[in-house]
Amino acid sequence: MPIAQNLSNALVLASTYILMAVGLTMVYGVLKILHIAHAAVYTIGAFIGLLMFGWIGNFWLALVAAMLASGVVGVLIYRATYFYMLDAPRIVPLIASIGLFVMLTDLLQKDFLMGPYQKAFPAGGAGMPRIRTEYFSITPKQMLVLVVAIVLITILYLVQTRTRLGLSWQAAAMDRDMAAAVGVNLNQVVALNFFIGSALAGAGGVLVGVYNNSVFATMGDLVSYKAFIIIVLGGMGSVPGVIVASVVLAIIENFLVASVGYVLPRDAIAFLVLILMLMFRPHGLLGRE
Amino acid sequence: MTALQVEHVSKSFGGLQALDDVSLQTEGEILGLIGPNGAGKTTLFNIISGFLSPTRGRVTYNGHSLQRRRPHQIVRLGIARTFQIVKPFSDLTVLENVLSGVGMPVYPRPQALVRRYRTPVSLKQAREVLAQTGLEAWADTLAANLPIGLQRRLEIARALATAPSFLLLDEPAAGLTAQEAEELAALIRSLHEQDIDMIVIEHNMAFAMNLCERIVVLAQGRIIADGPPAVIQQDERVINAYLGQEESDADHQ
Amino acid sequence: MSGYIISIAVFVGIWVSLALSLNILVGYAGQVSLGHAAFFGIGAYTSAVLTVRYEQSFWVGILAAILVTGIVGAFLGLPSLRVRHDFLVLATMGINFVVVAIFKYVDFFGGAMGLVNLPAPALLGLSFRGGPAYLTLVWIYAGLTLLVSWYLSQTWAGLALNTVRIDEEAAEAVGVSVPRFKIYAFVISAALAGGAGSLYAHFIGSVFPDTFAFVESIAILSMVIVGGVGTLRGPIFGAVLLKSAPEFLRFAQDYRFTLYGALLVLMMLFQPMGLLGKESWLWNLARRRFRRAPSSALAPEEVS
Repeated sequence: MPIAQNLSNALVLASTYILMAVGLTMVYGVLKILHIAHAAVYTIGAFIGLLMFGWIGNFWLALVAAMLASGVVGVLIYRATYFYMLDAPRIVPLIASIGLFVMLTDLLQKDFLMGPYQKAFPAGGAGMPRIRTEYFSITPKQMLVLVVAIVLITILYLVQTRTRLGLSWQAAAMDRDMAAAVGVNLNQVVALNFFIGSALAGAGGVLVGVYNNSVFATMGDLVSYKAFIIIVLGGMGSVPGVIVASVVLAIIENFLVASVGYVLPRDAIAFLVLILMLMFRPHGLLGRE
Repeated sequence: MTALQVEHVSKSFGGLQALDDVSLQTEGEILGLIGPNGAGKTTLFNIISGFLSPTRGRVTYNGHSLQRRRPHQIVRLGIARTFQIVKPFSDLTVLENVLSGVGMPVYPRPQALVRRYRTPVSLKQAREVLAQTGLEAWADTLAANLPIGLQRRLEIARALATAPSFLLLDEPAAGLTAQEAEELAALIRSLHEQDIDMIVIEHNMAFAMNLCERIVVLAQGRIIADGPPAVIQQDERVINAYLGQEESDADHQ
Repeated sequence: MSGYIISIAVFVGIWVSLALSLNILVGYAGQVSLGHAAFFGIGAYTSAVLTVRYEQSFWVGILAAILVTGIVGAFLGLPSLRVRHDFLVLATMGINFVVVAIFKYVDFFGGAMGLVNLPAPALLGLSFRGGPAYLTLVWIYAGLTLLVSWYLSQTWAGLALNTVRIDEEAAEAVGVSVPRFKIYAFVISAALAGGAGSLYAHFIGSVFPDTFAFVESIAILSMVIVGGVGTLRGPIFGAVLLKSAPEFLRFAQDYRFTLYGALLVLMMLFQPMGLLGKESWLWNLARRRFRRAPSSALAPEEVS
């Protein structure tokens, strides 16, 4: 496969990673919680997107509904659990998060929700054009992922840099107590943080569901593991870091893993990378102590 | 006679120079280490006790280089320390806190896995330390439940339990009442009479001047004065260093 | 006793050993691990490979399982020297994933089909296959795990692990070699889990990679946390409760992981030290009940 084609495939993959990892890194930035249950939010997003798509038949409405619903789920998770654990040792919310993740994934597999099998998400490319050049081609589905991801990330960027809310975030991420002291309404900021991060993850779930034409209860697991690799690579809590790290990981996967993938499954390799990263570059590729 | 030698030690964190070519030598004394906030006092302690390694320079104790030695190995050479922000083993009792100091330097090897820690010998040693530091009455109290003054004393007791020949005390009098500080000074003097040398970081000037035979002043990572308390009190650079700090403190408020 | 009850009791005994062994790591040393099923699996596979591929006896298998898992534990504990707290949890999760992937993709370990036809233990020509004999063996092992856990808490190493759990810097300042004791904790914890793995493998008669996946690590961690981390009674109680409930309650069977997950969340919200942990309301209540009668004799102790 030509390099340009590989690169464009990698960018599509990277877009889905970014949508997943941005929420994780935002939560980590402000609360220092490894929000493992985020994987379930991603799956719930895909599930609701599929339901709504089946119901109204319009992909864009389904996407918006899925994002809103995921956002609400994210806020509920925060208010029902982490909210009460902010002063506890960090291991307490982490264990709660693992519990939530296991519980939600198990529930989603039950027949009255998603059931144990894969479901198709036949939204096609939602009317996106196909691009074909001499060096690479982008399918409508890939186009859809790229466009939605770029639009959402641009909006997030504008919110973070141009609005009061964004400034409050940055203040809260730097020092929670200090931000509270200068009048930032922490509860509101953190809740919005969860809402936006979860909505983005929900969008990621919908896009991946459409792209693979498949939605299933454990679809969030691997992506979330990779999202952890990404937020560690990206230097914990940094949104630009996440974007760079997502692209790096996607490129590595596309170009390199294919050549060593026969030794161990590629996901096991990703995990080995994570362990080594945690041991030797805990502050990310670019970060320093 | 024991001797601690700090030779041309520098330490920088990123672009920040915390210590800049610091040299000092102690011999059989209570050395006071004073200086404004951020002068590098605790950094120096962290380097001596092995929690940080210097960017340049070296530390030796009784002829042993402390370079590349980990904190627990330095404890075994006889240098024990306390922390400015006390770090009691909060859900262990006071007695167990002290027992940890009694046993850990002695049982570093796999035999720690088979030797029980409550033995007549270890308990006797721990109780002696408790008696010496006036904590006997609290032996079975959880360290977390001690008032702060007693937690400071426990910090010293735990260090003392490691049978050190050299103590690094990081602001032992912080947060103590006048009477508690008095008792602490008496304790420190009695330890010195048992041939334990020390460096005491102190913010409370009167306390330091009263206790120490010699005072070293650090400011912005450099030693700016070194001598007996009476001389230090007159030193113009010291006065300036402190005045400067008070001004900047006032700015912050 | 019916075979069904016996097999439940065997499983409970094995999981009591697993919970107690994880407790050494989490409760004593403060190293939260989500990879305990990996050690369980390494023990099971060591024993399975030795007995099936090399025709050794069960006894060789279980001893080797304990030994090999202990040694592997020393290596898999290495990340704990550099990675702390929540990131250690991530790293151990990864280790679990990688270990299962190796079982699954390396033909020597039987791949996804696992290894089958493991022999039953035999002693002086008597087979322990099923029945009360195997049950006794399992509970002797659980008792041994309890004994090791208790004795460890009485040793200098036990005290050292406590100091490491509470404050690593302060531990170093009193002369504890933090890395050394963390590795000790990993080795002991892993070795005990390895033995439990061997007992499990020979009871079932086969091993499959997915038995030892990440979710099983969560199940074991739930037992320790629900019962009361750091105590001896807690993990035993947690394992008995959570391992037997799915056998008796239809709901708990169908919603096993919903239950484990929800319990973890609820415990973290309301009783992070566990139902029978230090200062938990249930434990305090029980203590008060049983102490009321001879209260005069015990009063001074209660004051302190």
